[in-house]
Amino acid sequence: MIIRRALPIILVLLLIPVHILTLSTVSNKRKTLHQGEDVAYVIPGPLLKITSLEYDGLASDFLFLKALVYYGGTLNRSERPRVKDWEWRWIYSTLQASTDLDPYFYDPYYFANAILTWDGNMVRETNSLLAKGSRYRDWDWMLPFFMGFNSFYFLHENGRASEYLMEGAKRPGGEALASLALRLAVKGNRTENAIIFLQEILKRTKDIATRKEYETRLEALQGIHVLEGAVNTFKDKYGKQPSELKELLAVGIISQIPEDPYGGEFYIDKDGSVKTTSDLRSMKKTKNN
Amino acid sequence: MIQLWSVAAITFKEGLRNRAMYGISILALLMMVANLLISSMIMQEVGKVAVDMALSSASFAGLLLVLFVGINLLAKDLDRKTIYMVLSRPISRSQYIVGKFLGIALLIIVSMALLSLFAAASIYLVKLNTPGYFPRFSWSLVGLSLAFNTLALILLAALSFLFASFTSTSFISLMLTIVAYLIGNSINDVKALVEAPQGAGIAPSPVIVKVVQIAYYMFPNLSFFDIKTQVAHGIAPSGSYVFWTVSYGLVYTSLAVAIACAVFSKREFP
Repeated sequence: MIIRRALPIILVLLLIPVHILTLSTVSNKRKTLHQGEDVAYVIPGPLLKITSLEYDGLASDFLFLKALVYYGGTLNRSERPRVKDWEWRWIYSTLQASTDLDPYFYDPYYFANAILTWDGNMVRETNSLLAKGSRYRDWDWMLPFFMGFNSFYFLHENGRASEYLMEGAKRPGGEALASLALRLAVKGNRTENAIIFLQEILKRTKDIATRKEYETRLEALQGIHVLEGAVNTFKDKYGKQPSELKELLAVGIISQIPEDPYGGEFYIDKDGSVKTTSDLRSMKKTKNN
Repeated sequence: MIQLWSVAAITFKEGLRNRAMYGISILALLMMVANLLISSMIMQEVGKVAVDMALSSASFAGLLLVLFVGINLLAKDLDRKTIYMVLSRPISRSQYIVGKFLGIALLIIVSMALLSLFAAASIYLVKLNTPGYFPRFSWSLVGLSLAFNTLALILLAALSFLFASFTSTSFISLMLTIVAYLIGNSINDVKALVEAPQGAGIAPSPVIVKVVQIAYYMFPNLSFFDIKTQVAHGIAPSGSYVFWTVSYGLVYTSLAVAIACAVFSKREFP
Protein backbone atom coordinates (compact mmCIF):
# COMPACT_ATOMS: atom_id res chain seq x y z
CA MET A 1 0.00 0.00 0.00
CA ILE A 2 2.69 2.43 1.04
CA ILE A 3 4.76 1.46 -1.97
CA ARG A 4 1.85 2.09 -4.24
CA ARG A 5 1.40 5.59 -2.83
CA ALA A 6 5.08 6.40 -2.87
CA LEU A 7 5.54 5.19 -6.45
CA PRO A 8 4.39 8.39 -8.20
CA ILE A 9 6.62 10.49 -5.93
CA ILE A 10 9.62 8.27 -6.59
CA LEU A 11 8.89 8.44 -10.29
CA VAL A 12 8.75 12.25 -10.18
CA LEU A 13 11.99 12.43 -8.21
CA LEU A 14 13.66 10.15 -10.76
CA LEU A 15 12.30 11.99 -13.75
CA ILE A 16 13.39 15.47 -12.65
CA PRO A 17 17.14 14.81 -13.09
CA VAL A 18 16.45 12.96 -16.33
CA HIS A 19 14.48 15.97 -17.52
CA ILE A 20 17.37 18.31 -16.72
CA LEU A 21 19.79 15.95 -18.49
CA THR A 22 17.70 15.74 -21.67
CA LEU A 23 17.13 19.50 -21.66
CA SER A 24 20.82 20.33 -21.47
CA THR A 25 21.75 17.67 -24.03
CA VAL A 26 19.18 18.86 -26.53
CA SER A 27 20.15 22.50 -26.07
CA ASN A 28 23.77 21.54 -26.74
CA LYS A 29 22.84 19.46 -29.78
CA ARG A 30 20.70 22.32 -31.00
CA LYS A 31 23.82 24.47 -31.32
CA THR A 32 25.22 22.01 -33.86
CA LEU A 33 22.18 22.51 -36.12
CA HIS A 34 23.16 24.11 -39.36
CA GLN A 35 22.90 27.89 -39.05
CA GLY A 36 24.85 29.12 -42.01
CA GLU A 37 24.21 31.62 -44.71
CA ASP A 38 21.68 29.51 -46.61
CA VAL A 39 19.20 29.30 -43.71
CA ALA A 40 19.51 32.95 -42.73
CA TYR A 41 16.65 34.16 -44.88
CA VAL A 42 14.67 37.14 -43.69
CA ILE A 43 11.04 37.30 -44.84
CA PRO A 44 10.39 40.60 -46.64
CA GLY A 45 8.60 43.33 -44.68
CA PRO A 46 5.34 43.47 -46.70
CA LEU A 47 4.76 39.73 -46.10
CA LEU A 48 5.66 39.98 -42.42
CA LYS A 49 3.14 42.78 -42.09
CA ILE A 50 0.42 40.34 -43.15
CA THR A 51 1.52 37.46 -40.96
CA SER A 52 1.97 39.58 -37.87
CA LEU A 53 -1.77 40.47 -37.93
CA GLU A 54 -2.48 43.28 -35.48
CA TYR A 55 0.83 42.79 -33.69
CA ASP A 56 3.07 44.70 -36.13
CA GLY A 57 4.65 46.75 -33.38
CA LEU A 58 5.41 43.72 -31.27
CA ALA A 59 6.85 41.81 -34.24
CA SER A 60 9.03 44.80 -34.99
CA ASP A 61 10.33 44.86 -31.40
CA PHE A 62 11.17 41.16 -31.53
CA LEU A 63 12.95 41.37 -34.89
CA PHE A 64 15.05 44.20 -33.51
CA LEU A 65 15.87 42.22 -30.38
CA LYS A 66 16.76 39.22 -32.56
CA ALA A 67 19.31 41.27 -34.48
CA LEU A 68 20.64 42.80 -31.27
CA VAL A 69 21.04 39.46 -29.54
CA TYR A 70 22.65 37.92 -32.63
CA TYR A 71 25.18 40.72 -32.85
CA GLY A 72 25.83 40.47 -29.10
CA GLY A 73 26.60 36.77 -29.59
CA THR A 74 29.35 37.59 -32.10
CA LEU A 75 31.25 39.81 -29.65
CA ASN A 76 32.95 36.86 -27.97
CA ARG A 77 34.22 35.27 -31.17
CA SER A 78 37.95 34.95 -31.63
CA GLU A 79 38.02 34.37 -35.41
CA ARG A 80 38.74 37.19 -37.88
CA PRO A 81 36.76 38.77 -39.36
CA ARG A 82 34.59 38.51 -36.28
CA VAL A 83 31.32 38.98 -38.17
CA LYS A 84 31.06 37.49 -41.65
CA ASP A 85 29.72 39.39 -44.62
CA TRP A 86 26.50 37.38 -44.84
CA GLU A 87 25.92 38.03 -41.15
CA TRP A 88 26.14 41.77 -41.66
CA ARG A 89 23.67 41.40 -44.53
CA TRP A 90 21.39 39.30 -42.33
CA ILE A 91 21.47 41.92 -39.55
CA TYR A 92 20.76 44.60 -42.12
CA SER A 93 17.80 42.69 -43.62
CA THR A 94 16.40 41.97 -40.18
CA LEU A 95 16.58 45.63 -39.18
CA GLN A 96 15.09 46.51 -42.55
CA ALA A 97 12.15 44.17 -41.86
CA SER A 98 11.80 45.49 -38.32
CA THR A 99 11.48 49.02 -39.63
CA ASP A 100 9.07 47.90 -42.37
CA LEU A 101 6.76 46.69 -39.62
CA ASP A 102 7.11 49.83 -37.56
CA PRO A 103 8.86 52.59 -39.49
CA TYR A 104 8.74 54.94 -36.50
CA PHE A 105 10.78 52.66 -34.23
CA TYR A 106 14.02 54.50 -33.42
CA ASP A 107 16.15 51.67 -31.98
CA PRO A 108 16.76 49.69 -35.22
CA TYR A 109 17.98 52.85 -36.97
CA TYR A 110 20.19 53.74 -34.05
CA PHE A 111 21.61 50.24 -33.85
CA ALA A 112 22.16 49.99 -37.61
CA ASN A 113 24.00 53.28 -37.59
CA ALA A 114 26.16 52.25 -34.65
CA ILE A 115 27.40 48.95 -36.11
CA LEU A 116 26.75 48.66 -39.85
CA THR A 117 28.77 51.72 -40.82
CA TRP A 118 31.96 51.47 -38.78
CA ASP A 119 32.27 47.71 -38.61
CA GLY A 120 29.95 46.36 -41.29
CA ASN A 121 31.10 48.48 -44.23
CA MET A 122 27.47 48.99 -45.30
CA VAL A 123 27.37 52.77 -45.33
CA ARG A 124 25.14 53.29 -48.36
CA GLU A 125 22.69 50.64 -47.18
CA THR A 126 22.61 52.18 -43.70
CA ASN A 127 21.93 55.60 -45.16
CA SER A 128 19.00 54.28 -47.19
CA LEU A 129 17.62 52.69 -44.02
CA LEU A 130 18.10 55.96 -42.13
CA ALA A 131 16.38 57.82 -44.96
CA LYS A 132 13.26 55.74 -44.36
CA GLY A 133 13.41 56.56 -40.65
CA SER A 134 13.97 60.23 -41.33
CA ARG A 135 10.93 60.30 -43.61
CA TYR A 136 8.64 58.87 -40.94
CA ARG A 137 10.19 60.43 -37.84
CA ASP A 138 9.92 63.94 -39.20
CA TRP A 139 10.31 65.41 -35.71
CA ASP A 140 13.66 63.75 -35.05
CA TRP A 141 16.94 65.51 -35.97
CA MET A 142 19.18 62.59 -34.99
CA LEU A 143 18.55 60.51 -38.13
CA PRO A 144 19.45 63.26 -40.64
CA PHE A 145 22.41 63.97 -38.41
CA PHE A 146 23.61 60.35 -38.67
CA MET A 147 23.09 60.42 -42.44
CA GLY A 148 25.08 63.63 -42.62
CA PHE A 149 27.93 62.14 -40.66
CA ASN A 150 28.00 58.97 -42.78
CA SER A 151 27.99 60.93 -46.03
CA PHE A 152 30.77 63.17 -44.81
CA TYR A 153 33.00 60.70 -43.05
CA PHE A 154 32.67 57.49 -45.05
CA LEU A 155 31.44 58.57 -48.45
CA HIS A 156 33.32 61.89 -48.63
CA GLU A 157 30.25 63.62 -50.00
CA ASN A 158 30.41 66.94 -48.19
CA GLY A 159 27.71 68.59 -50.25
CA ARG A 160 25.17 65.92 -49.50
CA ALA A 161 26.23 65.80 -45.84
CA SER A 162 25.49 69.53 -45.53
CA GLU A 163 22.05 68.95 -47.05
CA TYR A 164 21.23 66.28 -44.47
CA LEU A 165 22.49 68.44 -41.65
CA MET A 166 20.46 71.42 -42.84
CA GLU A 167 17.41 69.13 -42.90
CA GLY A 168 18.19 68.11 -39.31
CA ALA A 169 18.68 71.75 -38.30
CA LYS A 170 15.07 72.47 -39.28
CA ARG A 171 13.75 69.98 -36.74
CA PRO A 172 13.15 70.82 -33.08
CA GLY A 173 16.32 70.54 -31.00
CA GLY A 174 18.62 70.23 -34.01
CA GLU A 175 19.36 73.93 -34.49
CA ALA A 176 23.04 73.45 -33.63
CA LEU A 177 23.51 71.36 -36.79
CA ALA A 178 23.34 74.47 -38.97
CA SER A 179 26.84 75.59 -37.98
CA LEU A 180 28.21 72.09 -38.60
CA ALA A 181 26.63 72.13 -42.04
CA LEU A 182 28.37 75.42 -42.76
CA ARG A 183 31.73 74.06 -41.65
CA LEU A 184 31.34 71.14 -44.06
CA ALA A 185 30.31 73.45 -46.84
CA VAL A 186 33.58 75.40 -46.55
CA LYS A 187 35.45 72.06 -46.49
CA GLY A 188 37.38 72.07 -43.26
CA ASN A 189 39.76 69.49 -41.91
CA ARG A 190 38.16 66.06 -42.14
CA THR A 191 39.41 64.66 -38.84
CA GLU A 192 38.60 67.85 -36.98
CA ASN A 193 35.02 67.82 -38.30
CA ALA A 194 34.65 64.18 -37.38
CA ILE A 195 35.73 64.98 -33.82
CA ILE A 196 33.11 67.73 -33.58
CA PHE A 197 30.50 65.30 -34.95
CA LEU A 198 31.40 62.64 -32.41
CA GLN A 199 31.38 65.10 -29.52
CA GLU A 200 27.88 66.10 -30.60
CA ILE A 201 26.76 62.44 -30.66
CA LEU A 202 28.32 61.80 -27.25
CA LYS A 203 26.37 64.67 -25.75
CA ARG A 204 23.14 62.88 -26.73
CA THR A 205 24.12 59.32 -25.86
CA LYS A 206 23.10 58.01 -22.45
CA ASP A 207 23.64 54.29 -22.88
CA ILE A 208 26.95 53.37 -21.20
CA ALA A 209 28.06 50.64 -23.63
CA THR A 210 27.36 52.82 -26.66
CA ARG A 211 29.08 55.79 -25.03
CA LYS A 212 32.16 53.69 -24.50
CA GLU A 213 32.27 52.76 -28.17
CA TYR A 214 31.96 56.38 -29.26
CA GLU A 215 34.51 57.50 -26.67
CA THR A 216 37.03 55.01 -28.04
CA ARG A 217 36.40 56.30 -31.54
CA LEU A 218 36.81 59.88 -30.37
CA GLU A 219 40.08 59.03 -28.62
CA ALA A 220 41.45 57.40 -31.77
CA LEU A 221 40.42 60.35 -33.94
CA GLN A 222 41.97 62.79 -31.49
CA GLY A 223 45.20 60.81 -31.72
CA ILE A 224 45.09 61.04 -35.52
CA HIS A 225 44.31 64.73 -35.27
CA VAL A 226 47.37 65.41 -33.09
CA LEU A 227 49.60 63.46 -35.48
CA GLU A 228 48.18 65.20 -38.56
CA GLY A 229 48.97 68.54 -36.94
CA ALA A 230 52.49 67.34 -36.24
CA VAL A 231 52.95 66.15 -39.84
CA ASN A 232 51.87 69.58 -41.08
CA THR A 233 54.31 71.31 -38.73
CA PHE A 234 57.06 69.00 -40.01
CA LYS A 235 56.19 69.87 -43.61
CA ASP A 236 56.27 73.62 -42.86
CA LYS A 237 59.60 73.32 -41.08
CA TYR A 238 61.50 70.99 -43.40
CA GLY A 239 59.59 71.33 -46.64
CA LYS A 240 59.05 67.58 -47.11
CA GLN A 241 56.83 64.74 -45.95
CA PRO A 242 57.97 62.74 -42.95
CA SER A 243 58.06 59.10 -44.03
CA GLU A 244 57.37 57.69 -40.60
CA LEU A 245 56.15 58.89 -37.23
CA LYS A 246 59.54 58.31 -35.59
CA GLU A 247 60.92 61.25 -37.55
CA LEU A 248 58.47 63.49 -35.74
CA LEU A 249 59.73 62.19 -32.44
CA ALA A 250 63.34 62.61 -33.46
CA VAL A 251 62.97 66.31 -34.27
CA GLY A 252 60.95 66.89 -31.14
CA ILE A 253 57.64 67.98 -32.71
CA ILE A 254 55.85 65.46 -30.55
CA SER A 255 57.01 63.93 -27.30
CA GLN A 256 55.31 60.57 -27.81
CA ILE A 257 53.18 58.70 -30.33
CA PRO A 258 49.61 58.41 -29.03
CA GLU A 259 48.23 54.94 -28.50
CA ASP A 260 45.47 53.64 -30.77
CA PRO A 261 42.64 52.60 -28.43
CA TYR A 262 41.61 49.97 -30.98
CA GLY A 263 44.92 48.20 -30.45
CA GLY A 264 46.49 49.12 -33.78
CA GLU A 265 49.43 51.39 -34.52
CA PHE A 266 49.41 54.78 -36.19
CA TYR A 267 51.51 55.24 -39.33
CA ILE A 268 51.99 57.71 -42.13
CA ASP A 269 50.54 56.54 -45.42
CA LYS A 270 52.22 57.14 -48.77
CA ASP A 271 49.97 60.11 -49.48
CA GLY A 272 51.03 61.74 -46.21
CA SER A 273 47.83 61.07 -44.27
CA VAL A 274 47.91 59.51 -40.81
CA LYS A 275 46.30 56.08 -40.60
CA THR A 276 46.19 53.21 -38.18
CA THR A 277 46.73 49.50 -38.69
CA SER A 278 43.45 48.80 -36.85
CA ASP A 279 41.54 50.87 -39.44
CA LEU A 280 39.43 52.09 -36.48
CA ARG A 281 37.95 48.66 -35.92
CA SER A 282 38.44 46.76 -32.74
CA MET A 283 41.46 44.42 -32.78
CA LYS A 284 41.43 43.52 -29.11
CA LYS A 285 38.90 40.97 -28.05
CA THR A 286 38.03 42.72 -24.82
CA LYS A 287 37.50 46.19 -26.17
CA ASN A 288 33.93 45.84 -27.35
CA ASN A 289 32.57 43.70 -24.57
CA MET B 1 -37.74 45.20 -23.83
CA ILE B 2 -37.72 43.63 -20.37
CA GLN B 3 -37.14 40.17 -21.85
CA LEU B 4 -34.26 41.56 -23.86
CA TRP B 5 -32.52 42.97 -20.78
CA SER B 6 -33.10 39.87 -18.73
CA VAL B 7 -31.42 37.75 -21.44
CA ALA B 8 -28.56 40.24 -21.53
CA ALA B 9 -28.17 40.22 -17.74
CA ILE B 10 -28.20 36.41 -17.54
CA THR B 11 -25.66 36.14 -20.36
CA PHE B 12 -23.38 38.65 -18.67
CA LYS B 13 -23.53 36.84 -15.32
CA GLU B 14 -22.98 33.49 -16.99
CA GLY B 15 -19.91 34.88 -18.74
CA LEU B 16 -18.46 36.24 -15.51
CA ARG B 17 -18.94 32.87 -13.87
CA ASN B 18 -16.99 31.13 -16.62
CA ARG B 19 -13.70 29.73 -15.32
CA ALA B 20 -11.96 30.71 -18.56
CA MET B 21 -12.06 34.30 -17.31
CA TYR B 22 -9.52 33.46 -14.61
CA GLY B 23 -7.19 31.83 -17.09
CA ILE B 24 -7.37 34.84 -19.37
CA SER B 25 -6.66 37.21 -16.48
CA ILE B 26 -3.62 35.18 -15.42
CA LEU B 27 -2.35 35.15 -18.99
CA ALA B 28 -2.77 38.92 -19.21
CA LEU B 29 -0.95 39.36 -15.92
CA LEU B 30 1.97 37.20 -17.10
CA MET B 31 2.28 39.14 -20.32
CA MET B 32 2.38 42.38 -18.37
CA VAL B 33 5.25 41.01 -16.28
CA ALA B 34 6.99 40.05 -19.53
CA ASN B 35 6.57 43.69 -20.50
CA LEU B 36 8.88 44.74 -17.66
CA LEU B 37 11.49 42.19 -18.77
CA ILE B 38 11.46 43.01 -22.47
CA SER B 39 11.37 46.78 -22.00
CA SER B 40 14.56 46.55 -19.98
CA MET B 41 16.36 45.10 -23.04
CA ILE B 42 15.67 48.15 -25.20
CA MET B 43 18.31 50.86 -25.51
CA GLN B 44 16.41 53.92 -26.67
CA GLU B 45 12.66 53.82 -27.17
CA VAL B 46 11.66 52.00 -24.00
CA GLY B 47 8.30 53.77 -23.89
CA LYS B 48 7.35 52.60 -27.36
CA VAL B 49 8.08 48.97 -26.58
CA ALA B 50 6.29 49.14 -23.22
CA VAL B 51 3.15 50.53 -24.86
CA ASP B 52 3.39 47.95 -27.67
CA MET B 53 3.62 45.10 -25.21
CA ALA B 54 0.85 46.35 -22.93
CA LEU B 55 -1.63 47.06 -25.72
CA SER B 56 -0.86 43.83 -27.56
CA SER B 57 -1.29 41.77 -24.39
CA ALA B 58 -4.64 43.38 -23.62
CA SER B 59 -5.77 42.87 -27.20
CA PHE B 60 -4.68 39.22 -27.28
CA ALA B 61 -6.36 38.43 -23.97
CA GLY B 62 -9.52 40.15 -25.22
CA LEU B 63 -9.42 38.03 -28.38
CA LEU B 64 -9.22 34.84 -26.31
CA LEU B 65 -12.19 36.07 -24.30
CA VAL B 66 -14.32 36.50 -27.42
CA LEU B 67 -13.21 33.19 -28.89
CA PHE B 68 -13.53 30.97 -25.84
CA VAL B 69 -16.05 32.66 -23.57
CA GLY B 70 -18.17 34.70 -25.96
CA ILE B 71 -18.81 31.99 -28.51
CA ASN B 72 -19.68 29.44 -25.84
CA LEU B 73 -22.36 31.65 -24.36
CA LEU B 74 -24.51 31.41 -27.47
CA ALA B 75 -23.32 28.13 -28.91
CA LYS B 76 -23.75 26.28 -25.63
CA ASP B 77 -27.49 26.94 -25.76
CA LEU B 78 -27.55 25.33 -29.18
CA ASP B 79 -25.11 22.53 -28.32
CA ARG B 80 -26.89 21.46 -25.18
CA LYS B 81 -30.37 22.02 -26.62
CA THR B 82 -31.24 24.42 -23.77
CA ILE B 83 -32.36 26.69 -26.60
CA TYR B 84 -35.72 24.82 -26.59
CA MET B 85 -36.37 26.01 -23.06
CA VAL B 86 -35.65 29.60 -24.00
CA LEU B 87 -37.71 29.56 -27.17
CA SER B 88 -40.76 28.21 -25.39
CA ARG B 89 -40.80 31.42 -23.34
CA PRO B 90 -42.67 34.49 -24.52
CA ILE B 91 -39.66 35.93 -26.30
CA SER B 92 -39.01 36.28 -30.01
CA ARG B 93 -35.92 34.74 -31.58
CA SER B 94 -34.62 38.16 -32.56
CA GLN B 95 -35.04 39.40 -29.00
CA TYR B 96 -33.11 36.40 -27.83
CA ILE B 97 -30.22 37.04 -30.23
CA VAL B 98 -30.06 40.77 -29.52
CA GLY B 99 -30.30 40.17 -25.77
CA LYS B 100 -27.49 37.61 -25.89
CA PHE B 101 -25.41 39.96 -27.97
CA LEU B 102 -25.89 42.86 -25.55
CA GLY B 103 -24.87 40.61 -22.67
CA ILE B 104 -21.68 39.59 -24.43
CA ALA B 105 -20.92 43.16 -25.48
CA LEU B 106 -21.25 44.21 -21.85
CA LEU B 107 -18.98 41.34 -20.81
CA ILE B 108 -16.37 42.44 -23.36
CA ILE B 109 -16.55 46.05 -22.17
CA VAL B 110 -16.13 45.09 -18.51
CA SER B 111 -13.28 42.65 -19.25
CA MET B 112 -11.49 45.14 -21.46
CA ALA B 113 -11.77 47.71 -18.67
CA LEU B 114 -10.05 45.21 -16.38
CA LEU B 115 -7.37 44.39 -18.98
CA SER B 116 -6.84 48.11 -19.53
CA LEU B 117 -6.08 48.44 -15.84
CA PHE B 118 -3.44 45.72 -16.16
CA ALA B 119 -2.01 47.41 -19.23
CA ALA B 120 -1.90 50.83 -17.58
CA ALA B 121 -0.25 49.36 -14.49
CA SER B 122 2.52 47.72 -16.53
CA ILE B 123 3.17 50.90 -18.53
CA TYR B 124 3.20 52.86 -15.30
CA LEU B 125 5.77 50.51 -13.75
CA VAL B 126 8.09 50.70 -16.76
CA LYS B 127 7.68 54.48 -16.74
CA LEU B 128 8.63 54.56 -13.08
CA ASN B 129 11.80 52.58 -13.84
CA THR B 130 12.92 54.56 -16.86
CA PRO B 131 11.22 57.96 -16.70
CA GLY B 132 13.47 59.60 -19.31
CA TYR B 133 12.44 57.32 -22.18
CA PHE B 134 8.80 58.38 -22.64
CA PRO B 135 9.19 61.57 -24.65
CA ARG B 136 6.02 61.35 -26.75
CA PHE B 137 3.77 59.37 -24.47
CA SER B 138 0.09 60.13 -23.84
CA TRP B 139 -2.37 58.28 -21.62
CA SER B 140 -5.39 59.47 -23.58
CA LEU B 141 -4.03 57.87 -26.77
CA VAL B 142 -3.48 54.59 -24.93
CA GLY B 143 -7.10 54.83 -23.78
CA LEU B 144 -8.28 55.52 -27.33
CA SER B 145 -6.42 52.48 -28.64
CA LEU B 146 -7.99 50.26 -25.97
CA ALA B 147 -11.44 51.65 -26.77
CA PHE B 148 -10.90 50.90 -30.48
CA ASN B 149 -9.81 47.43 -29.50
CA THR B 150 -12.98 46.89 -27.49
CA LEU B 151 -15.04 47.97 -30.46
CA ALA B 152 -13.20 45.54 -32.73
CA LEU B 153 -13.83 42.69 -30.27
CA ILE B 154 -17.54 43.52 -30.10
CA LEU B 155 -17.60 43.45 -33.90
CA LEU B 156 -15.92 40.07 -33.87
CA ALA B 157 -18.45 38.79 -31.32
CA ALA B 158 -21.28 39.98 -33.60
CA LEU B 159 -19.68 38.06 -36.45
CA SER B 160 -19.46 34.95 -34.28
CA PHE B 161 -23.23 35.31 -33.68
CA LEU B 162 -23.77 35.37 -37.41
CA PHE B 163 -21.78 32.15 -37.77
CA ALA B 164 -23.54 30.51 -34.81
CA SER B 165 -26.91 31.35 -36.33
CA PHE B 166 -26.46 28.81 -39.12
CA THR B 167 -23.87 26.31 -37.89
CA SER B 168 -24.79 23.28 -35.85
CA THR B 169 -21.85 23.07 -33.42
CA SER B 170 -19.89 25.65 -31.47
CA PHE B 171 -16.63 24.28 -32.85
CA ILE B 172 -17.51 25.31 -36.40
CA SER B 173 -18.47 28.82 -35.28
CA LEU B 174 -15.17 29.03 -33.41
CA MET B 175 -13.22 28.05 -36.51
CA LEU B 176 -15.14 30.47 -38.73
CA THR B 177 -14.61 33.28 -36.23
CA ILE B 178 -10.88 32.61 -36.09
CA VAL B 179 -10.73 32.62 -39.88
CA ALA B 180 -12.68 35.90 -39.96
CA TYR B 181 -10.26 37.37 -37.41
CA LEU B 182 -7.21 36.32 -39.43
CA ILE B 183 -8.67 37.63 -42.67
CA GLY B 184 -9.97 40.78 -40.99
CA ASN B 185 -6.57 41.70 -39.68
CA SER B 186 -4.60 40.96 -42.80
CA ILE B 187 -7.02 41.91 -45.59
CA ASN B 188 -5.85 45.52 -45.67
CA ASP B 189 -2.22 44.55 -46.19
CA VAL B 190 -3.06 41.68 -48.54
CA LYS B 191 -5.13 44.00 -50.71
CA ALA B 192 -2.32 46.55 -50.76
CA LEU B 193 0.12 43.78 -51.63
CA VAL B 194 -1.80 42.18 -54.52
CA GLU B 195 -2.67 45.56 -55.98
CA ALA B 196 0.96 46.69 -55.90
CA PRO B 197 2.91 43.41 -55.82
CA GLN B 198 6.25 44.86 -57.02
CA GLY B 199 7.19 45.73 -53.43
CA ALA B 200 7.52 42.11 -52.37
CA GLY B 201 8.54 40.78 -55.78
CA ILE B 202 5.51 38.55 -56.37
CA ALA B 203 3.09 38.27 -59.29
CA PRO B 204 -0.43 37.21 -58.18
CA SER B 205 -2.88 35.99 -60.83
CA PRO B 206 -5.86 38.22 -61.73
CA VAL B 207 -8.22 35.68 -60.11
CA ILE B 208 -6.49 36.07 -56.76
CA VAL B 209 -6.65 39.85 -57.04
CA LYS B 210 -10.40 39.60 -57.64
CA VAL B 211 -10.93 37.18 -54.75
CA VAL B 212 -9.04 39.50 -52.41
CA GLN B 213 -11.08 42.47 -53.55
CA ILE B 214 -14.33 40.61 -52.91
CA ALA B 215 -13.12 39.46 -49.49
CA TYR B 216 -12.22 43.07 -48.74
CA TYR B 217 -15.89 44.04 -48.87
CA MET B 218 -17.21 40.93 -47.13
CA PHE B 219 -14.94 40.61 -44.13
CA PRO B 220 -14.55 43.29 -41.47
CA ASN B 221 -11.42 45.38 -41.85
CA LEU B 222 -10.11 44.98 -38.33
CA SER B 223 -6.88 46.84 -39.06
CA PHE B 224 -8.85 50.09 -38.97
CA PHE B 225 -9.16 49.59 -35.22
CA ASP B 226 -5.47 48.85 -34.79
CA ILE B 227 -3.72 52.11 -33.91
CA LYS B 228 -1.24 50.50 -31.52
CA THR B 229 1.84 51.44 -33.53
CA GLN B 230 0.80 55.07 -33.86
CA VAL B 231 -0.17 55.30 -30.20
CA ALA B 232 3.17 53.81 -29.15
CA HIS B 233 4.85 56.75 -30.91
CA GLY B 234 2.41 59.32 -29.61
CA ILE B 235 0.95 60.05 -33.05
CA ALA B 236 -2.71 61.03 -32.64
CA PRO B 237 -5.23 60.01 -35.33
CA SER B 238 -7.44 62.80 -36.64
CA GLY B 239 -10.90 63.37 -35.17
CA SER B 240 -12.56 62.38 -38.43
CA TYR B 241 -10.62 59.10 -38.48
CA VAL B 242 -11.91 58.30 -34.99
CA PHE B 243 -15.46 59.23 -35.99
CA TRP B 244 -15.49 57.17 -39.18
CA THR B 245 -13.83 54.16 -37.61
CA VAL B 246 -16.38 54.12 -34.78
CA SER B 247 -19.18 54.51 -37.34
CA TYR B 248 -17.76 51.69 -39.45
CA GLY B 249 -17.56 49.44 -36.39
CA LEU B 250 -21.12 50.18 -35.30
CA VAL B 251 -22.55 49.74 -38.79
CA TYR B 252 -20.77 46.45 -39.41
CA THR B 253 -21.74 45.14 -35.96
CA SER B 254 -25.40 46.05 -36.47
CA LEU B 255 -25.34 44.49 -39.92
CA ALA B 256 -23.92 41.23 -38.58
CA VAL B 257 -26.43 41.06 -35.72
CA ALA B 258 -29.32 41.88 -38.08
CA ILE B 259 -28.34 39.10 -40.50
CA ALA B 260 -27.89 36.74 -37.55
CA CYS B 261 -31.45 37.58 -36.38
CA ALA B 262 -32.84 37.01 -39.87
CA VAL B 263 -31.10 33.66 -40.30
CA PHE B 264 -31.89 32.52 -36.79
CA SER B 265 -35.60 33.36 -37.14
CA LYS B 266 -35.82 31.13 -40.21
CA ARG B 267 -33.83 28.32 -38.71
CA GLU B 268 -35.56 25.03 -38.00
CA PHE B 269 -34.60 23.10 -34.90
CA PRO B 270 -34.85 19.33 -35.16
